Amino acid sequence: MAPPRPYWKGYLKLSLVTCPVSMMPATSESEKVRFHTLNRKTNNRVVSRYVDAETGKVVDEEDEAKGYERGENDFLVIEDEELQSVALESARTIDIEKFVPRNTIEWVWLEKPHYLSPSDEVGHEAFSVIRDAMEAEKVVGISRLVIGRRERAVMLEPCGKGIVVWTLRYGDEVRKPENYFDDIGDGDNDPKLMSLVTSLIEERSKPWNPDMVQDPVQEKLKEIIESKRKSAKKGAKPKGKGKDEEPAYTGNVIDLMSALKKSLETKSGGKSK
Amino acid sequence: MAVAGRAQWKGYIRFGEVTTPVALYTATSTSERISFHTVNRETGNRVRREFVDSVTGKPVEKEGQVKGYELDNDRYVVLEPEEVAAAVPESDKTLRVQAFIGCDDIDKVYFDRPYYLTPDKMGTDAFALLREGMRKKKVAAIAQTVLFRRMRTVLVRTHDKGLIATTLNFDYEVRSAKEAFKEIPEIKIKGEMLDLAKHIIGTKKGTFSADEFDDRYEAALADLVKAKMEGKALPKRAPPKVSKSSDLLEALRQSAGIKATEQPRRRAGKAAPKGRAQASR
Repeated sequence: MAPPRPYWKGYLKLSLVTCPVSMMPATSESEKVRFHTLNRKTNNRVVSRYVDAETGKVVDEEDEAKGYERGENDFLVIEDEELQSVALESARTIDIEKFVPRNTIEWVWLEKPHYLSPSDEVGHEAFSVIRDAMEAEKVVGISRLVIGRRERAVMLEPCGKGIVVWTLRYGDEVRKPENYFDDIGDGDNDPKLMSLVTSLIEERSKPWNPDMVQDPVQEKLKEIIESKRKSAKKGAKPKGKGKDEEPAYTGNVIDLMSALKKSLETKSGGKSK
Repeated sequence: MAVAGRAQWKGYIRFGEVTTPVALYTATSTSERISFHTVNRETGNRVRREFVDSVTGKPVEKEGQVKGYELDNDRYVVLEPEEVAAAVPESDKTLRVQAFIGCDDIDKVYFDRPYYLTPDKMGTDAFALLREGMRKKKVAAIAQTVLFRRMRTVLVRTHDKGLIATTLNFDYEVRSAKEAFKEIPEIKIKGEMLDLAKHIIGTKKGTFSADEFDDRYEAALADLVKAKMEGKALPKRAPPKVSKSSDLLEALRQSAGIKATEQPRRRAGKAAPKGRAQASR
């Protein structure tokens, strides 16, 4: 993946310590198998362009501007530089207001991760002080940041030589779990079942490995492309699909006991047939 | 569960030889943000997007557009939507647990979207068993299934009486942290500077509550728009003062409330180390 251009530039601040930083998203929209849009008739690439909605004329890229709708079809053009002067310090400074113990923020609040690095040699040491002190105290920092035309709470967590900045969801963006979970029973806490299930978990526990997030579909697409390339005429006809079958589920406690025992008997390796 | 709304997905979770019916509910919603329109600077009119053939320049209708994979310069393999769809394995509506992972061992940077996972129909016993077993062993489960016509990997973790299934991004969708941070020099901060910074952190410890944060951007932008319409000059703010290495110790001392002339308070028994950072290795 090509290194992205910095997505946000600004300052990281702890009390009177300030350093220049830049940030980029930790995730990308890039696909492993990258498609282009073609014109079916000509096989040429299809490109998008903007035309003026009134005159129908093509608009040059440098004439594209952000418009704030102040009335119906009445737009005030705002330049990106002007947006910089919005009167919120969080538009350009991540000022760490608070620290909370690591791993105390529920995962459900984490929205999107970004990588934060010092952007100028002058701030290398200040950046390192903030990072290392958080690491030593086993805390993460909480601040505010204007990103994507919103001001969000963010969480800063040391990660190797850098810092990961997570945007956090607003309070009303996470549905109340009680509404979903309150009716769930405690279940039958049969100690025998419990010991079977914990044995099963132990047996199938593995260290985290990025191989766990490989995409079988992209591999398959590559195969399809390869076979089409080889036989451009024949084309690769997809195989007919089988019927979606509903599996039988494990109902009562007796079923559970025997299913768990069977699980432990079958050779582990994580993959069930 | 009248308030819970409709399930996004219904199926089964399978761990070992145990299969039990479950449902997934969206845990999050996205609040609205300010949107700008793209306008033509010359005329002030809105613009619309048009798709044209890159060679002929003629517009191409939606039906005339097809996905192509570039083999080499300008040679493409065309893939019809059905062919792309056929690459997705058939759905057996089952979240297959492939492994359990220690909760502290998980790389959060892969997280995509959380869903509430609940038992469906009569599946409470097996559900509760899995939940309590995972809670006891402090693990989460990695499972795969076809979700919303895509093959997805999810991470399932206990949450109160329920489970939360978080979809994970694929390996190629996540940039490597090591790669992203490789330009950062190896500096390890020790001694007085680290102590001062730790002291400052100590004065700012608290807890996180999402409800304390609201979006002040819309109001601030409205002010900016108003100022511009009234023809006022928009404020140019001077950049903040950056803490150079030579000023850093002083900035830390002041932040910690220690006067320049005063010696920093040190814990007994420790020799006063040099304030400068030392590069490790």
